[in-house]
Amino acid sequence: MLGIAHDDGLYQQSIMKITTVKTTANEQQSDQFENKDRQITQAVTGTITNGKDKGQQLTIKNTYMKSQATTQAYYRHQHVFLTLHRHHGEITSSTISGLKRDTSLAFVVWLTLSVLLILMRFSGAMAFLSVVVNAVLFAMAVNWNSDTQGSKVLVIFGLLAIVFAALTLLIVIGPNKQMLMTLATTIGGTALSIIIALLVFMVTNEKGVYYESMQYVTQLPKPLFLAETLLGSLGAVMDESTDIIASLTALKEERPDVTAKQIFKSGRQIGGEIMGPLINVLFFIFVADTLPLALLYFKNANSWGYTFNMTMSLGVIQSLISGIGIVLTVPLACGITSMVLGGKKPWARLRH
Amino acid sequence: MGTITALGLVLLVSMVLVSGKQGVQAFLSLLFNFGALFFAIVLMAFHLNPIVVTLVTSIIVLAMTIFLGGSDDYSTEVAFYASLIVLVVLVLVIVPVEHWAQIQGFGQEDSEDLEGMSNVLGINYLQVAMATAILSTLGAIAEAAIAISAGLAEILEQHPKIELKNLQGAGLRIGKQIIGTTFNTLFFGFFGGFLALFIWFASVHYSLGEILNDRIFVGQILMVLFSMISVIATIPLTTSAMMLRVRRMRENPNKSE
Repeated sequence: MLGIAHDDGLYQQSIMKITTVKTTANEQQSDQFENKDRQITQAVTGTITNGKDKGQQLTIKNTYMKSQATTQAYYRHQHVFLTLHRHHGEITSSTISGLKRDTSLAFVVWLTLSVLLILMRFSGAMAFLSVVVNAVLFAMAVNWNSDTQGSKVLVIFGLLAIVFAALTLLIVIGPNKQMLMTLATTIGGTALSIIIALLVFMVTNEKGVYYESMQYVTQLPKPLFLAETLLGSLGAVMDESTDIIASLTALKEERPDVTAKQIFKSGRQIGGEIMGPLINVLFFIFVADTLPLALLYFKNANSWGYTFNMTMSLGVIQSLISGIGIVLTVPLACGITSMVLGGKKPWARLRH
Repeated sequence: MGTITALGLVLLVSMVLVSGKQGVQAFLSLLFNFGALFFAIVLMAFHLNPIVVTLVTSIIVLAMTIFLGGSDDYSTEVAFYASLIVLVVLVLVIVPVEHWAQIQGFGQEDSEDLEGMSNVLGINYLQVAMATAILSTLGAIAEAAIAISAGLAEILEQHPKIELKNLQGAGLRIGKQIIGTTFNTLFFGFFGGFLALFIWFASVHYSLGEILNDRIFVGQILMVLFSMISVIATIPLTTSAMMLRVRRMRENPNKSE
């Protein structure tokens, strides 16, 4: 933790520690939409903390809007990255290119880990491990995607989803029949939601799907959007199938004479209870994120409909597709479990 | 028919087919939450304080999600009160961290979206960032609170005379069962949503240092971590709320239902 607060030397880019900040101007601004804001100019003085200019003092002008949507205020004690312009080795002008945020990020990671380990101990460590494993795989897949110029995005992330699910379930459940059933349900439920989404897209001719409103797009948007949706719902579908199948397996252990039909029925009941809250988890993750952009659209005098289409609609579509996956996972989990554990069907024994 | 309407219909029909009345309730709660979120954005656009709007919206959303999602009365009530306490804890973490990390507003990666837009907004985007972080965790808090309280209610039903100390252990056990899969729900939910951003980082060849200090990246990771913290906090807080409730019921058996 303390190390990261003093890691300035690791960066190539010059870093300055701010020692004083003076406000030099503060004036009212307004635009053609009658929005009002204040534009503030500050003189930021500090000392460079790394590289060959270490120790040098600089004063840099920074102008920002009080709302800080696209510009930013700086304060004393902050560490900031600099862009320096030189002439014959002497610094002629400099601008602040951004705040150093790694310390605050590391602090919150540390906080999360501490709470997790203190409270959950081994289970917490396993939960964290599975997230780390997934994050590493995710980074590898992102690189693979870039190496192939995004032409195989759906294949890559479809495969990745299967690997993700298998690894995570191995960590969470362990290598057994229950894990295989959960894996089959997870893959089936996620695939089903994407297939249904594609069918609906075909029927409606993608009316009201504004791919142009996707952010940070550097490749063909439609497959990228589907890959995002696939990954987004994978965790929830996995969560749900784990819950349902674990409960049903426990039920079978408690009452070995339970029939396939009873297993199906009680799985449906468990599923019905968890699917609603789970869909809302994803909805808030997908849609709350669009708040800053939606506000920007509103304040630029766009209508409610246009703002919705350009900012929130893709998140809503993602929530709906994931929702369909989450709902259909319930009968899928019940069906697979009752067939495998119910014991009547001949191929149930083959699966084992 | 628009795609959103068609997908909504498919969702409604499958919900009803799979779990009848509960399916209708689940659909209504989703619809309601969308309405609440949209309304909150409109209020913020009319310059109401983003934090105040968010807190009021959060309380309403938690109530609707929990009461429309859970099954029996007293466990949903416990889940609701616990979720409110988690909300307070979350705000206490989010406010100082967002002041520190300063991830509000848009980054250089958003330039395309910002083209031709006025940035004279008059809305405090630091507060908007806090609002976004709080709102994005609401579903996770509600889900975890329901899971813990429903699990505890089931144990209480089977062992009505269970000692409070044992109930506490049971709460933690249920928590351990859900934490692994819940983390993955959050991880994939967030990372799936930001796949495009990560592909951007890879194709523009950001250095590790640039990524770790990037406004958008740090903002996203903080949101994942905030929701993880709130799920972890939900476990002991819901258990405590349930213990309090059980103790009261045992002390005043006449008042309880």
